[in-house]
Amino acid sequence: MEFFVYHDYMMFTKSIVYVLMGLFVVGFWGLWAFMTSRDEEIHKMPEHHKE
Amino acid sequence: MSTENNKTLFTPANIITGIFLAIGLVITVLRFTKGLGYVTNLDDNNPWGIWISFDLLCGVALAAGGYTTSSACYLFGMKKYHSAVRPAILTAFLGYSLVVFALHYDVGRPYRLVYPLFVSPGTTSLLFEVGLCVFLYVTVLAIEFSPAMFEWLGMKNLRNKIHKLTLALTVFGVVLSTLHQSSLGALYIAVPSKIHPLWYSPYLAVLFFVSSIPAGLSMVIFEGTLAHKPWHHMMDKTHLDEHEGVILGFARGASIALAAYFCVKLVAVAYDNNWHYLATGWGAWWLLEVLGFVALPSLLYAIGSREKNIKLIKWTAALTVFGIILNRFNVSIVAFNWQLPASQRYFPSWMEIGISIFVVTVGVTVYRFIVSRMPIFFEHPEYKDAH
Repeated sequence: MEFFVYHDYMMFTKSIVYVLMGLFVVGFWGLWAFMTSRDEEIHKMPEHHKE
Repeated sequence: MSTENNKTLFTPANIITGIFLAIGLVITVLRFTKGLGYVTNLDDNNPWGIWISFDLLCGVALAAGGYTTSSACYLFGMKKYHSAVRPAILTAFLGYSLVVFALHYDVGRPYRLVYPLFVSPGTTSLLFEVGLCVFLYVTVLAIEFSPAMFEWLGMKNLRNKIHKLTLALTVFGVVLSTLHQSSLGALYIAVPSKIHPLWYSPYLAVLFFVSSIPAGLSMVIFEGTLAHKPWHHMMDKTHLDEHEGVILGFARGASIALAAYFCVKLVAVAYDNNWHYLATGWGAWWLLEVLGFVALPSLLYAIGSREKNIKLIKWTAALTVFGIILNRFNVSIVAFNWQLPASQRYFPSWMEIGISIFVVTVGVTVYRFIVSRMPIFFEHPEYKDAH
């Protein structure tokens, strides 16, 4: 894709960055949920099953 | 008696250390008597070589464990990481001291080191800002480290007085680290035409700062792993009990920080619209760095933290440390002057590599001396629960 004026360039790159930022927010939520999912399982365990 | 001493002195580790130190000293003499041209492959196109890339850029990034660990413990109140603070501060103090030490080889004339700060300060230069921050931060780290030394020397009053400054020193350390970690990246903003567009970005300052966080956390895990076997007998029960918790907690922090770094890396490419470079050979190298040494360690840390897999986390720490070194080399050497023909590209001489090995060996030797004597992996009996 070619950019003829600076405005086109800024519009295009900004749009991509906004899309990426949205994906990153979802990605971070997923990463955190993945990392901490076992913690919740440990908390839900009966006391005598915990180490 | 002397035979026993000789036996303990001539261990394989000591012999290797001695050889590296001896070679390093010879090259040091050559550097300061015959000049840079005699020992390095530096030229007008490549005025900064591996002494800057490895000793300075990597040294500063990997010493970030000092401010990350102390801020986690003292600013965010995560006292469960307290046993990791002293080893991290020691690593940071030695790391920064060696950065200053190694800088002498590049700039020469050590007696003029004070000039940029006190005689002729160039206040509009980023290098001045880096120099001032490193000078102040080495001082802060020396003061932060000094209680361990005073406990060892039995200087109770001085130790207690300095211990009261801990919080202020931590705040000061975080501010200074934020400034100079980012400024080292900002230095390269001055050369947009020399660095390959995939590594050049107006966000270089942000990239250097964000990547220093997982670098520091990974270095604490990596160094703790290396130190665990030889100094296990020096570690007290608190240190050993907290060790696993430190690794799991730091792995979680490093995973999030690496994910953030990955995001900023992508935003940097998107901002300059450099996607088309990804289809070239340079793009393959960039993808290897970003996917293999940023995204992959982030995922492996997450898996290790979730599964409580300490072994996986330790290997991931090594992978991350290697990745940060690779990134600093890419920015300052590999992707630097990328348009020049191969014959004009920089490759370090064996003596430059020798000096870098010498600097690391000096650091390891001083580290061994300190942890074998001072209360780094254990709490001094007279100061237990005095934190």
